[in-house]
Amino acid sequence: MDSDFLYIKPPSLSDLLNHLESWGEKSKVLAGGTDLLVLLRRHDLSPSYVVDIKGIEELQRLEEVEGGDIFLGAGLTVNEAAHSGLVQKRYKALADAANKLASYQLRNRATVVGNICNASPGADLAGPLLVFDAKVQIVSTQGKREVLLQDFFTGVKKTILRPQELLYGLTLPAVTAGERSIYLKLARIKGHDLGIVGVAGRLDSRKKFHLAMSSVAPTPLRLTRLEALLNGSSRSAELPDQAAEAVQEEIRPISDVRASAAYRQHMAGVLVKRVVQYLVQEGGE
Amino acid sequence: MCAEHEHKAAQTYQDSGLPRVLLNCTVNGENVSQWIDPTMSLLHFLRHELNLLGTKEGCGEGECGACTIIFNGRAVNSCLVLAQEAEGSRILTVEGLGQEGQLSILQQEFIKEDALQCGFCTPGMLMSARALLDRNPEPEEEEIKEAIAGNLCRCTGYYPIIEAIKKASEREKEASQR
Repeated sequence: MDSDFLYIKPPSLSDLLNHLESWGEKSKVLAGGTDLLVLLRRHDLSPSYVVDIKGIEELQRLEEVEGGDIFLGAGLTVNEAAHSGLVQKRYKALADAANKLASYQLRNRATVVGNICNASPGADLAGPLLVFDAKVQIVSTQGKREVLLQDFFTGVKKTILRPQELLYGLTLPAVTAGERSIYLKLARIKGHDLGIVGVAGRLDSRKKFHLAMSSVAPTPLRLTRLEALLNGSSRSAELPDQAAEAVQEEIRPISDVRASAAYRQHMAGVLVKRVVQYLVQEGGE
Repeated sequence: MCAEHEHKAAQTYQDSGLPRVLLNCTVNGENVSQWIDPTMSLLHFLRHELNLLGTKEGCGEGECGACTIIFNGRAVNSCLVLAQEAEGSRILTVEGLGQEGQLSILQQEFIKEDALQCGFCTPGMLMSARALLDRNPEPEEEEIKEAIAGNLCRCTGYYPIIEAIKKASEREKEASQR
């Protein structure tokens, strides 16, 4: 940490945005802190100003808005999302992933939006949010913009968010009855490890497939080519195997301490197959 | 603190030298008001300012769970909380589990079931277990495993810990019916 270090917890959104506007790159937004505190401790980041969002009531909301969409505020913890009846009932893949992210005590602090802003290639919540076509609401003193989550990530730990901006919350478009969704994660151990591979899948009420993966590319990845293939194929018993093979062309995993690229490539196929099997068996007929 | 401990403590925490800020909170039922280093974590506040050395620093990055405390009723990794975030909060550490010089039922069961060997993970393990029993007094085995999945133990193999939490759940139920 540097020669300056001011922690501030503004009571209102306008105060917070004014701070970000004037401090820009010298500031860092603090939500759950589970990523930020690690960076501070390692001296990888030395912000002069740490701006805590937890004093702002409106960012704590998880609620149904017009048209049956769900709004999920930037202050909402992963456990609050995981325990929400709304999320469990309508966005099962998101609840699955929320329950698999790190450990219980970490999820008591980590926020859903923080997981997105940190933009790790292995972000557990990114895949489920991508298959539900989540939109991010970005605010600054200049106004508000809404962007599709798939256009938010730009690289490893990089996003389109500017230092003067706050990711205010997420909008999850309404889902209809009869949808199925699931998130499968492969990790070395439960409770304290990043995923080796994560696959989120959704079959909507028009029987359209939505698929996304984590830990297989520089950013969380929407599998648009695989979706096109599956949505263009007639439903057959071979579909899960075809998906397992086709996904190989769309991912670019790396080797690291957790797994080799070859193992990731293989397991991506296995998990995609299981996800498609689940979606077809449970909701496809 | 003895010289050896002081040396070890210095390795993990260094004062930034910045002007101190005032922190007010409640720790184990007592009001605390202290001028602190603005950059310190809640873990370092507990250990270095309050000399509550029960809460341990393992990895310092939220992986091992040795620093788990109960913060406003929820189990959290205290190494990942900035001490200043604790303004106005209620904190429970392992030192606050027992009452009137007596170990709590949960602590007694850890001893009876041999749920510790070296003891380094124990304070964090106890706090994760305490938070679980507070929100779910009769947890299933899977729920116990989930609650302590973020607490690494290299000695016991976990089974005695799970057993101790089950026994504590039973005894606490009996005690509450009495």
